[in-house]
Formats: sequence, C-alpha cells, structure tokens
Amino acid sequence: MALDYEVPEDKRALYWLGDQLIEWRNPVMVFVLLITGLFAYWSFQLQLVTSFGDLLPQTHEFVKVHNKYSGTFGGANNIVVMYTVDEGTIFTKEHLTNIFKMTEGMDTVYGVNHNQIESIGHRTVRHLKVAAGGTLRAEPVMLRAPQGQDEVDGIRRIVHNAENVYGLIVSLDDKAALIRANFIEGRLDYKRIFEEVDSKVIDPFKGDNIEIYAAGEPRLYGWVYKYAGDVFFILVVTYCIEWVLRWMYFHDWRGALRPTLTGIIAAFWGLGFIHLIGLALDPLMLVMPFLITARAVSHAIQMHDRYYEEFEKCGWHKRRAIVASFAELFVPTFSGITTDAFGVLVIILVPVVMLQKLAITASWWILAITISEMLLNPIVYYYLKPPEPELVVLRERGAFRRWIERFTHVLLSPAGKTVTLAAWALMTVIGIFFMRGLTIGDPTSASPLLFEDSPYNVSHTQIQERFGGVEPLIVVSEGFDKDAMKDPQVLRTMEKFQRAIERDPDIGYSFSLADIIRAVNRVFHELEPKWAVIPDSWTDIGGLFFIFFSGSPPTETAKYVDPSYTTAHVTFFAKNHQGDNIRRIIARCRAFIAENPMEKAAFKLAGGLIGVLAAANEELVRNDLLMNFLGFFTIWVILLFTYRSFVCGLYILGPLIASNIMVNGYMAVNNIGVNIHTLPLVTVGVGFGVDYGLYIISRIIEEIQVRGDLEASVREALVTSGKAVTFTAVTMIVSTAFWITSSIRFNAEMGLLLAIWMGVSYVGSQTLLPVLVTVFKPKFITKEANTKAPKAALAAARLA
Amino acid sequence: MVLGLYNSIAIVLGFSLLVIALDEYVAKPWRHKRWQQRADSGDQEAIELLKIARSAKVSEE
Repeated sequence: MALDYEVPEDKRALYWLGDQLIEWRNPVMVFVLLITGLFAYWSFQLQLVTSFGDLLPQTHEFVKVHNKYSGTFGGANNIVVMYTVDEGTIFTKEHLTNIFKMTEGMDTVYGVNHNQIESIGHRTVRHLKVAAGGTLRAEPVMLRAPQGQDEVDGIRRIVHNAENVYGLIVSLDDKAALIRANFIEGRLDYKRIFEEVDSKVIDPFKGDNIEIYAAGEPRLYGWVYKYAGDVFFILVVTYCIEWVLRWMYFHDWRGALRPTLTGIIAAFWGLGFIHLIGLALDPLMLVMPFLITARAVSHAIQMHDRYYEEFEKCGWHKRRAIVASFAELFVPTFSGITTDAFGVLVIILVPVVMLQKLAITASWWILAITISEMLLNPIVYYYLKPPEPELVVLRERGAFRRWIERFTHVLLSPAGKTVTLAAWALMTVIGIFFMRGLTIGDPTSASPLLFEDSPYNVSHTQIQERFGGVEPLIVVSEGFDKDAMKDPQVLRTMEKFQRAIERDPDIGYSFSLADIIRAVNRVFHELEPKWAVIPDSWTDIGGLFFIFFSGSPPTETAKYVDPSYTTAHVTFFAKNHQGDNIRRIIARCRAFIAENPMEKAAFKLAGGLIGVLAAANEELVRNDLLMNFLGFFTIWVILLFTYRSFVCGLYILGPLIASNIMVNGYMAVNNIGVNIHTLPLVTVGVGFGVDYGLYIISRIIEEIQVRGDLEASVREALVTSGKAVTFTAVTMIVSTAFWITSSIRFNAEMGLLLAIWMGVSYVGSQTLLPVLVTVFKPKFITKEANTKAPKAALAAARLA
Repeated sequence: MVLGLYNSIAIVLGFSLLVIALDEYVAKPWRHKRWQQRADSGDQEAIELLKIARSAKVSEE
C-alpha cells in the first residue's frame, strides 16, 4: 500500500520509510533474522573471562615496569594462604607437616610460578647454616615434613633466627604461617585456580584447632566467578517482574512481549559481536549488558505506548498507526540511541584495554537497538494482532493517567515551579558539597567487589591483622651496569628507602637485598648484632652474596636480584589498597627518589598490586574530567544537529548534570570509589537521563505545532510521553534495584547506584526540564508554534 | 536449584507463555465482564467508553 493519505510534510520521508519497511517486510525480516541468528549462535559461544592485563593502563610507566619485572620479582597476582592454630603454636609435628604438604599442594596449582612461592615448607625459603669447618651454606628451612620432635625444635630455632622468615611468613606469636604464591599472568584461570587451591591447599587440612584463610587477587576473582551464577537468578526474576509490570501497564500481553523482542535481538547482536571480535564477558561487567538491554526495552515501551495512542488517533487503522508511531518517534529514539552510543564511546580515551573494549562493544550494542527498535519494529507490529479498541480506550483514561495529570497540574502551577527550581538548586549544592569526598580508587581496605562479611574479606582482614600487610608495592632498583647491586651506596640507599617508607602507617613491612646482606654479614660474624650492617666495600658485599646464593639455582635467586647483579627490588607490603593511601605512599616514594639519587642505579616505580592500582588510579584521575566533558559535549553536539539549536542541549544537559552531581555526592557519602569497574557503568547511566529528556522535548515540539500554546504543550507532553517515561523509569528502577540481591557487592552497589541514578534523572526530566522550558520559553520550541494550522488540520483529518 | 543458562531460558519462556494464556483466557474476559457490569449498573463513564470502543472499526491494512 502506498502512502496515499495525508501526513505531516516535515516528516513525510519518515512516514514513507515506515511504510516501505512494511511493504518490504519479508525480505527485511529474513535478512535481519538471518543475521540475528548468526549473532545468537556467536552469543552462546561467549565465556566469562577476566584478563588481568586488560585491567591495566598499558601505556603507564608503572605498568611498563610491572610488565618487565613481574616474571622475576613478583607480580600483582599473589595468593596468600594463612595457616593458624587456635591453641598452642604451629611448631608441632602435625602442623609443620600440614604446612609442608599445603606448600607442596600450592606448588601444583595451575599457573603458579614455582620459583615465587614463599613458605617455610618451600625450597626457595632458605637460611644460612654454618657447617663443619666454618663454611656457610644456604639451606631450605624445611627439607621434608618433620619426622620427630628434634626436627620440629630445629625448625623453630631456624625460624626464630631468620630475618627473612620470622615476622614475615611466620607470625611473631608462632601461631600462624603464610604460604605466598605468585601466579603467571598469562596463565590466570581464576576458576581453576580457585578450585585447585580449595582442593589441594585448604580443604584437606581443615581441623578443629586449625583455621585457614586465603586472600589475594586471583582468589578474589575466583570468588567473583563463583558468585557470578547469581546473575541468572537476578535476570529471571527481573524478567518476570518486568513482564508483569508491562502487562499491567499495557493491559495486554503484546505490550509485555514487544519490548522483550527488542531487548533479546539487541542482546544477541551485542553479545555475538563481543564474541566475534574475540572478547569475553567479565563477571564484574554483567550489569552492563543488563543496563543496555534495559535501555532497549525502555525505547520499545515508548514506541508501544505511542502505537496505542496513534491507533486511536488514526481511526483504528493498524498500518497507519504503525507508520505514524514509527515516524513520530523516529527523532527522539534515534537521537537517544546515538547520544547513548557515542556518549559511551568516549570511554575509549582511557588507556585501559578493558575499558576500550567495553567502549566499542557497548557502543555497538546500543547502536544495534536501531535494528530491533526501528528496522524490525514496524514489521513486528504488522504481524501482531492489533490491540482491542476497548482496551486502548479504557487504558487511556485509567487511574495512572489521571494521577500524572494531577501531578502535572501541581508542577506547572506558580508555586510548583518555584518549589521545583529551589529544590533542584538546593540538592545540587548539597551534591557539590558531598562529591568533594569522592575517592578515585578503592575507598576501603577490604575489597569493594565483595561484601565485608564475605569469606574473602574475612580472610583478607585476618591476614592483614596478623601480618600487618600483604599487598606488595615493588620498586625496582635498576642498575646502570653489571654488579651495580654490589655497590654499598646503592644498598644503603635501598635500606634508607625502606626505613623512610615504612614510617607510613599503611606500610606493614618491607624487604630488599639490603636485608639479605645484613643478615648474611651477621651470620658470617658469629651472629653478633653489630655486624648486621652493609659492608663498606664492593668486594666484601660480593663475597657475602656468593656465600648466600652459591648453593641456589639462578631461578631461585632471580626473585631477589638478577644473575648479573644489575637489578634488584625493594618490596613494601601495604596494609590496604585504599585510593588515598596509595596516592600518599606513591607520593612519598617519589619524594624520596627525587631527594636520594644513586650514582650507579635508579629506582623505578612500580610493580605489584599497589603499583598497578596506582597506575590505574592516576589514569582515571587524568581522564575522568576530560571524559565527563567529552561525554556531555558529544550529547550536546548530537542534540545540536537533531534540533538545530545551540540551547536545546543545555536544557537537556542541565537536569542531567545536576543528577550527575547528586549521584557523585551519593557515591562519596556511601564510600563508592571511581575505579575501572564503576567508571563505565556510571557513564552508561548518564544516557538514561538523556533518553527521558529527549522524549519529553520532542513531544513538546510536536504538541506546540498543533496547539501553539507552550504551557498546554508541556502539559500534554507530560501526560503522554511523560506517562510512558514514568512507567519506563519505574520498571527500570525496580528491576535494576533487584541487583541488590547479588552476592557480588560490586554488582549490588552498582545496581542500587544505577537505580538511584535513573530515579534522579527521571525526576529531573519530569520536573526540572518542563519547568525550565515553561519559565525560559526557549526559541527552538516556541518557533514551532507557527506551524499550528497545518498540523491541527492534519490531526483533525486523521481523527475523521 | 542452581540456575544456569538453559534452565533460565526455560523458566522465562514458560513464564511468558503463562502470562499470555492468563491474559487471553482469564484477564481479558474478566475485564470485559467488569466494564459491562459497570455500564449495566448505569456508570456513565463506562457506558461512554464502551460505546466509543464498540463503534470502532479496526482496519488492518
């Protein structure tokens, strides 16, 4: 059927496009479904994988140092297992045997770096032994599980006299021992490592008097993977809740089904694309697909609502109603999708591979909504039976609409406008006040990914309390030539560095080559404390190193110093990784390095967990403001082209920026830091506010063309588009808030945060935006009043 | 029961079909009956709305 009826001249092309989509429905549908089928197939191949390297800003100087030395000096992926006894000490045959066997078990866990395990039961932890004839040998603390009390006593003596053991991997009260293992980054299979640590290191050794705790990044991600199954429960429940809500709103199962189709098709396109470009889903990013699908569903609800409205307006003519709803909502839907997609794309500026991948995939996914929502939508409606007129009529005059009408009446009264403007101004000021406390990085010492009472955080806290610090900050001492690490000035500066940074309250202890040389010198001089110093000459130092390292293979000594003695490290063990503490510790390190230059070497910051977190936090600080600016600027540019107005963007962005400030204030008050996990979610959240505003503004323009009166147009926009926006916001808030039930604290907090964000953005679009429009009467809206006559006549003709 | 991908799909499909069936065979007849009863009892709004709805001629093309 051709477009042989009267349509608005300015939208004739869109009406024609909608009509042609129905005309060519079969080839279009086959084409879209074939591609969707292909993407669906790829979607099912997707796996949950976290790539540690992708989380790091690879261009940052710290990460380059970390990448260069993590294989030898230790990386950020350590698992620390603490074996504790409630009564007595660990120095019994049973407990030492357990520790020895646990260490053996750890050595067989997939991906472990066999040369970087620290435990009194491991071959790499050695002590100096004076042998017959006065010779010195570095021997492992435990060569085997003790066979009798004599061996147990001997091990206790060794531990109490070894500076590299006592207090570091055996607690000072003899009640706990650590097994610290580093994992090779290229072989991090978090799920497998988690299961193998449980089955080989923890479960077989649990007992009445024994407590075993495990912490460290691979363990943390293992827990996250374990809890990731929750997502299915959350998705099923939210799906059912949304279906019921949509059915209650539309009074028809088609209203529940149609947005679901949009969401599913967009999800297939998005997930399939992620697999197609060789990426995987991160369990911590599962809220993101949910959020984008929610966005797709939200657009579909708008379209369905408009279809019902147009069905009555078009005299119960289904095809005309489909075409009209498509054409009338084309502009807000398309600009909503493009602002969302390009707004998210700015995340690509942060030089973190995971964020860049996320920016590309999220943008694609959002753009894919155009396929399901715009290309396929008229065809789906064409095949679905039209709603019963009775249902449409009764629904349009229901209680929900009457409630919105009453609210709009109060809002647009003089008192309502004053209260709205004053309340938003006040809330924004309060938001600015609180958002000053927003933390870049993690705001708490426990992992923010899991709840404080989770087994992981309980373990983490126990280990921190017993040993003072387990999170490494590795500062490399890079020599300019061979044997630089035998230079007394270099070793003394390393020692001075340790003493200086250990003064920080959040550094538990430190370790470096200087500790080894002092200990060896002391043993060499019959354990006299006065000899626990760094010798004055290069030759003495070289001799002592020879004594200590001569019996060990290079793979073992490499964790202290490279075979040519060019490079070594100072490792600080931090008590926590709070963003502010990391910043302070790194600043102290930088100040020390600047004030204490070495002749033959230079300190290089920084590896270990603290080093790479410092790098990520610095990149976030560097890019946060720029990204926010570019995000909003992108939205403004798209609005400029959509409505051909410079000020339109300001009207829509005003409430959005105010919402942004309030949500940032909420984050600061509730200790939610900005990190590489929260950043993309927060950026996507911005888009919801834009969508709400676009539907309202577009409807105001449409109404003023018919009515000519601004206030009446705003009123009508709020009770039509505003009604659909209200319903969309309610369903999205309810379903997003359901993520609170997730066992992963990060997902729960992000769910709540996004629900609040959507709520604030929704309130902004329903209150502040219309009040601003009625108070300031923007020209880009009022100039449309001139087109009143033709539009009014057309509406009348269509009704007739 | 631990939910996985496939049993989740089964649940949501089953739930959707249940809602469709309940809407078609329970809710819709009940709604018709309720509005008719309101109109029969002299509710002017119900009479007017039903009149508009029933006079509508749906055109598919």
